[in-house]
Amino acid sequence: MRLRHALVSGLLLASAPAGLQSWAQVRAQTPDPAKPDPKDWLTYSGQYHAQRHSQLKQITAANVGRLQAKWVYHMTGQKDLEAVPIVANGVMYVSQYNRIDALDARTGNVIWQFQRQPIATGAQRGTGYWNNKLYVTTSDKHLLALDARNGSVLWDVEVHDGLQLAGQAPLIAKGKLIVSGNQPHGFIQAYDADTGKYLWSWTPVPGADDPTALASWGGQKPDGMPIWVSGSYDPDLNLIYYGTGQPEPQWAGEGRKGDNLYSDCIVALDVDTGKLKWAYQNTPHDTHDYDSLEMPVLVNGMWKGKPRKMVLQANRNGFYYILDRTNGEFLQATQFVKKVDWLKGWDGGKPIPDPAHDPSVKGTTTCPSTAGATNWPSPTYDPQLHMFYFVAQEGCGINLRDTARNYAGTGYLESPEEGKSWQLFTRALDAFTGKKVWDYEQVTSHHYGPGLMSTAGGVLFSPEEFGQFTALDSKTGKVLWHFNTGDVITASPVSYSVEGKQYVAVISSSNVFAFGLPDGGAK
Amino acid sequence: MRIALALAVLALTVTTADAQRRPAPDTGPRNPFADNQAAIDEGRSLYNSTCTSCHGANGAAGEFGPGLAIPGRSYARTTDSQIFDAIQHGITGTPMPAQQGKLSDDQIWKITAYVKGLRGTAIDAPSPGDVAAGEAVFWDKGDCGSCHMVKGRGSIIGPDLSNLGNLRKTNSIIDALTKEQHRVYGPGGAQPHLLTPLPTWPVVSVTVPGRPPVRGVLRNEDSFSLQVMGLDQQLHLFDRSKVKVVYEQKSLMPSDYDKKLSKDEFDNLVAYLTRLGVPPQPSGAVHMPGGPERD
Repeated sequence: MRLRHALVSGLLLASAPAGLQSWAQVRAQTPDPAKPDPKDWLTYSGQYHAQRHSQLKQITAANVGRLQAKWVYHMTGQKDLEAVPIVANGVMYVSQYNRIDALDARTGNVIWQFQRQPIATGAQRGTGYWNNKLYVTTSDKHLLALDARNGSVLWDVEVHDGLQLAGQAPLIAKGKLIVSGNQPHGFIQAYDADTGKYLWSWTPVPGADDPTALASWGGQKPDGMPIWVSGSYDPDLNLIYYGTGQPEPQWAGEGRKGDNLYSDCIVALDVDTGKLKWAYQNTPHDTHDYDSLEMPVLVNGMWKGKPRKMVLQANRNGFYYILDRTNGEFLQATQFVKKVDWLKGWDGGKPIPDPAHDPSVKGTTTCPSTAGATNWPSPTYDPQLHMFYFVAQEGCGINLRDTARNYAGTGYLESPEEGKSWQLFTRALDAFTGKKVWDYEQVTSHHYGPGLMSTAGGVLFSPEEFGQFTALDSKTGKVLWHFNTGDVITASPVSYSVEGKQYVAVISSSNVFAFGLPDGGAK
Repeated sequence: MRIALALAVLALTVTTADAQRRPAPDTGPRNPFADNQAAIDEGRSLYNSTCTSCHGANGAAGEFGPGLAIPGRSYARTTDSQIFDAIQHGITGTPMPAQQGKLSDDQIWKITAYVKGLRGTAIDAPSPGDVAAGEAVFWDKGDCGSCHMVKGRGSIIGPDLSNLGNLRKTNSIIDALTKEQHRVYGPGGAQPHLLTPLPTWPVVSVTVPGRPPVRGVLRNEDSFSLQVMGLDQQLHLFDRSKVKVVYEQKSLMPSDYDKKLSKDEFDNLVAYLTRLGVPPQPSGAVHMPGGPERD
């Protein structure tokens, strides 16, 4: 009933007389992710560098204890949403495949809803905002741009080569809409964000023009390497940074002897051409599904006394990496969970996998588990404290193969051994040394968990797997506030500001929750 | 509820488990002994005399062969005719021998019916024995009712067992009676690390300063609160920041029933437990008419 009314209002607005339009223009200067304003949250990771750090500081470590729920919006027909809400000019956009709901970010009232049939569910992780446009990934291999003001379709193109896009939020960099997918193997594509015109593709599958990488597959046809998480972007270096997934067959490595490039890599691509500038492989010859799809976070700072342009990544394989992002030079890797045994050691910056931990019919215990020492839930970097926060999963797993034949399928389990069961922690590292500063145990959380967000107010927002939305002191990890949202959280929080008031929002299963300080003045 | 959710999430990580739940269309001949309890019992003795030198008893993994009824495991052969074929002709490229000529077709079909039953839950191939005598052991000598409830009778500290046979496999029930770590190691066998964890009923002792500790079973917890069913059969709700919590490693469930009961008593108890079930309920959503409707 409410929605029908809203749709009628939307139509009226779309056909509004010129006078009203100019009012709208005064109110809405188009936000631009290249010139980020802390009041908006325009991309999956907040900003191109993917630091996920809000510069808003109305909510502080001193007053967050008074934070209260301001509104809840239910996404009808949905569950287990993984989307990061996008906020531009006081309007929040919540996405799913085929769908975007636009909400008044102060009240949660729906402004318009776009639903292309059919209603879809799945791990769709957000939309992106650029030049008054929003982008929709469809379940039938189309890519759409909507007018952010009323949800009208501005263009609708078929995905190049007839491929299905994965659920990662698009990255809009230098006027290019960058999307990715998994099938038939990993790929990244770029389109003109204004017109939908296809521009370029890149795939981690090496071609004949890259004989070294091709030779790293032991004669097998390279396969797999899905790309299902968004990336980061450095406008100065003109490079985008993405992680790539595991090689195929996933658990059986005997048919693909060698490093299997460019699986489990952090890659830097030229944003104009999609050409590979460099690749660093976190896990050569992976047999445990250690995708490198954890967000590559771009940070400038001092490393061992020298200024560096770095890319930081807490990887699923249990190591925290610092690379030089100008050229991919390996600077350091620090083990961040207690038990890591998939490798025998290091050859310089290259890990040497231990074949004794390959999956087997009998079952092989390996640390970390395939669930990962961390996974896609976003990390955050606090530029004031130089701390890197992420969700660490302690524990080990068992990898099983159905048969001893190559291409054997399998599953993985939590290790039943004492001391190897899964447990999630919110973990703070000194970003430039990799040393652990503090730990917060998320009691009962044991698998993946949601992502994090740090803020200039000194508060780290750390949702927990089974619905607690928790605020920690960024410096110490001490609990400052918490709220039970009542359902599973697998999304990352955001912060934004409307009319001078800071909000923090997170999606819990099918509900968007927004929090703020009590009205009547934040003290 | 969250414990159940946690398990649901875990089940999803077993990527092959879903495939297992989808029954493959069986285009082969029908098992003439399907659902025939006497034939399934005969299949059990044939299995125990023919198969357990490699495979484990009750579907667990054995010394040389994989478990044939392991929770979370996916099977290459799922239909009656596929299982029959594996027994009759063996499996090429594996040590699995052909039984053709050693066992009659009828015998192979009976083993097939038994293995199929094992892949369901206990109630699909309930254990033989004197069920009424087993029920008496449950309430009297076994004293199971001091923790468990069955169909409204008994205590509320441990899991309600009214539907046990529909929820657990036979070997899982036997492990619960005989193995301390049964909830962690599941159905047991020579390759315990193949097995999925079962729900735990962790034991905690919670102390509020100045009061005697409350010992009981943790029903739920998060970073901020605990919900404990005390040994006093009362629900205790705690604020984590105000209490001291000791997590005990050992379950409250005794694991020496095979020692403190005679073999007959034990077998009868298992016969009773493997038959505990409530009628299946229809799945899906239902709209109940009769109340005031919004439109």
